[in-house]
Amino acid sequence: MISINDSSEFESMKMRSVGLNAWFGAKQALKDINVAVKANAVTAIIGPSGCGKSTLIRCFNRMHELVPGAKTSGQVLLDGKDIYSGDIDPVMIRRRVGMVFQKPNPFPTMSIYDNVAAGLKLTGMKKGKNLDEVVRRSLEQATLWEEVKNDLNNPGTSISGGQQQRLCIARAIALQPEVILMDEPCSALDPIATARIEELVVQLKNQYTVVIVTHNMQQAARVSDFTAFMYLGRLIEFGDTSSVFENPRSELTEKYITGKFG
Amino acid sequence: MHRLLDTGLEQLTTMVHKMGEVAEKTLATSIGGFVKGRDTSEGVHELSEMLVSMTVEVEEKAFGLIAKYQPVASDLRIINSYMKVAYDFERYGRYAWDISFISKRMGKLENCEEWIPQYIGDMGEKVLQMVKISINSLKSLDTELAKSVTKTEQEVDDMYFQYLGKLVEQSGATNQCTISSILVVRYLERIADHATYVAEAVVYIATGQKITLR
Repeated sequence: MISINDSSEFESMKMRSVGLNAWFGAKQALKDINVAVKANAVTAIIGPSGCGKSTLIRCFNRMHELVPGAKTSGQVLLDGKDIYSGDIDPVMIRRRVGMVFQKPNPFPTMSIYDNVAAGLKLTGMKKGKNLDEVVRRSLEQATLWEEVKNDLNNPGTSISGGQQQRLCIARAIALQPEVILMDEPCSALDPIATARIEELVVQLKNQYTVVIVTHNMQQAARVSDFTAFMYLGRLIEFGDTSSVFENPRSELTEKYITGKFG
Repeated sequence: MHRLLDTGLEQLTTMVHKMGEVAEKTLATSIGGFVKGRDTSEGVHELSEMLVSMTVEVEEKAFGLIAKYQPVASDLRIINSYMKVAYDFERYGRYAWDISFISKRMGKLENCEEWIPQYIGDMGEKVLQMVKISINSLKSLDTELAKSVTKTEQEVDDMYFQYLGKLVEQSGATNQCTISSILVVRYLERIADHATYVAEAVVYIATGQKITLR
């Protein structure tokens, strides 16, 4: 495994895990993960099914613990503060570290507008000019505004799959998170919708820190600045994306990204 | 696990290795002909043209593999390097043609002072040795063999500059001989450079390290 503990930059990263382990009941899904996520960059996590990619990002916003029987040990630091320490409210962590899922999941009974506004309303924001402004800004940042600006009261599920995924990104952005976690956000989308999301991911890093789990090697190569390769719950290699895809240091990484196993 | 890409890579490898064999034959014919005073221009020209066509085929095959399979890591390094190596082999052919053309156009070395054919023959031997190393190391991906070109390349460079110096200081060579031989030693020096580029590509394919062997 390539350790990044020695990196002088490691301490100043937006997020990092230190000796992170995670379990589903007796089954250990993550083993001693030390990985760092740089601010305003896209970090891709790749690896074969079951390697722990999704579990890792779910530990990054404390969603893993919502699964019955799930537990973690070790640390996940957000701006240097352990998000698992006793005085931390997990709900606040999930506001600061948003998540976009594999399948677009707009709230089915809500309009496009309300889908974006839902999180803000839960935080106490009332309907009005300010809310309208946040909804518009979020949809603009998700590059969806021009396509839906005249249909804001239509159901969130009335738009295409690719648009629904951008709506979910707008919903995450509305809460002004610092980090956006994306768990295979394009796996249910066609190539055109995928290209839109990829363009969006690259734009988003100007304002947010992005971590994306993907099965698509070329997608990781296209959109990310850093790539982590995981296998059997361990971090095998971490580095800048061009190095990982041109000249990986680990033979396992080489075999996986060239399609020789996995 | 056999991948669809592997079939394409195997075909590309066969094409590049075949090019290497043709390039070596072209150079050996051309240099040998020049030193021994034989007109090889027609045959060398044919071989040189064949190398041009083969380069286009390698490029088309490589582009096809990139477009179809989006290769990464060692696969990408191999394809990228093969495209460069194909160009180097094409240049071997071009210089071989230049040498045989000069021989035909400017005359043989028989009218030169005695030391000149011997000198160019020795330099040609060294260059052919480098070409063989470059091609054999590519076939075996033997990085140590590839790196061994550095010493000979330095010797060829030294011979090139020594030759120019000797011509200026010592020779009473005719203009015809001077022009002809200077052009040929220059071509030989460039062939040696391309042999070094091939060797550098071998190291890159095998290790991912971009090194300079000059």
